Amino acid sequence: MTLNKNMRVFIVDDYTTMLRILRNLLRQLDLNNVEEANDGDSAYHMMVKSPPDLIISDWNMAPVTGLELLRKVRADAKLKHIPFIMVTAESKTENVIIAKQAGVSNYIVKPFNAETLRAKIASVCGVTA
Amino acid sequence: MTLTTNAPSRLPDAHGFLDRVIGELRAVQSPQKDTLVAVLQYLSDHIRVTRSEICALRSDTSNQQLFGSSADELEEIVTETARAANRIMDAAEAVEKVAATLDAAPAAALTDAVTNIYEASSFQDITGQRITKVVRALQAMENKLATLVGAFGPPESDEAPVAAAPEGDARLLNGPQLDKNASRQTDIDALFESLG
Repeated sequence: MTLNKNMRVFIVDDYTTMLRILRNLLRQLDLNNVEEANDGDSAYHMMVKSPPDLIISDWNMAPVTGLELLRKVRADAKLKHIPFIMVTAESKTENVIIAKQAGVSNYIVKPFNAETLRAKIASVCGVTA
Repeated sequence: MTLTTNAPSRLPDAHGFLDRVIGELRAVQSPQKDTLVAVLQYLSDHIRVTRSEICALRSDTSNQQLFGSSADELEEIVTETARAANRIMDAAEAVEKVAATLDAAPAAALTDAVTNIYEASSFQDITGQRITKVVRALQAMENKLATLVGAFGPPESDEAPVAAAPEGDARLLNGPQLDKNASRQTDIDALFESLG
């Protein structure tokens, strides 16, 4: 099995540089159907209107953090089934545990490489890495 | 003596109170008073010097300029590194487009190199978060200094407010850890797996 090249990926990060990096790395995986937002609040409203197939989000954002976005997504009947990968510099054990409890699908610590991103996407999408 | 009846209620009053105590002690007929007076005089002199130095901060706007300028400089670094990272990625994207027109082997080599550039460009995100932490620390120091100066000025408050420790989800926002403390992806994976 391979990744569905048409799947809609939603990326969220308050650093436009990181959004651009993610978009480029996703393009190298042939994932070109990508939408983006700079914060959790606008991301959530965009997702409600048009649910994506995969969410990749930073944690440390304002005013709505990635963790709050995750909780909102998991509490929303329309969105709760969507795989959610946290990509963050927050690497403390406590953070990972709380994200897991909130329903995160996988967790990538920054800085990361393209192979880690590919493997995690494959994992949460049920594709053999 | 009235040593206990006029105790100071504010920090700026403490020095005057101490001087009054010294004056009253000097009038006491006791052979042991000289040692006590000497100690109190020593304390009084130190309070005077400390108060003088701290009060000087009040009229010295350079401190505010120092903190403000440092924060601005650091924020400028974030802006400049973002600009540089975007220029690097402009170039990398151009290389990637050229790679698409080449034979498989050179194309793959160039694409691998471009991938490395994309990965390395994440330095801007990491350094940006670290600098933001430093800016916040500077702002906190500036606030504490202002509180300290205020405490020695016209009596408003003799207690600097203690910054509340973050609670709830806010305590989880620590930004990148120092490299020696940071968890590796393998650590995260192992932890994640262990959570079921």
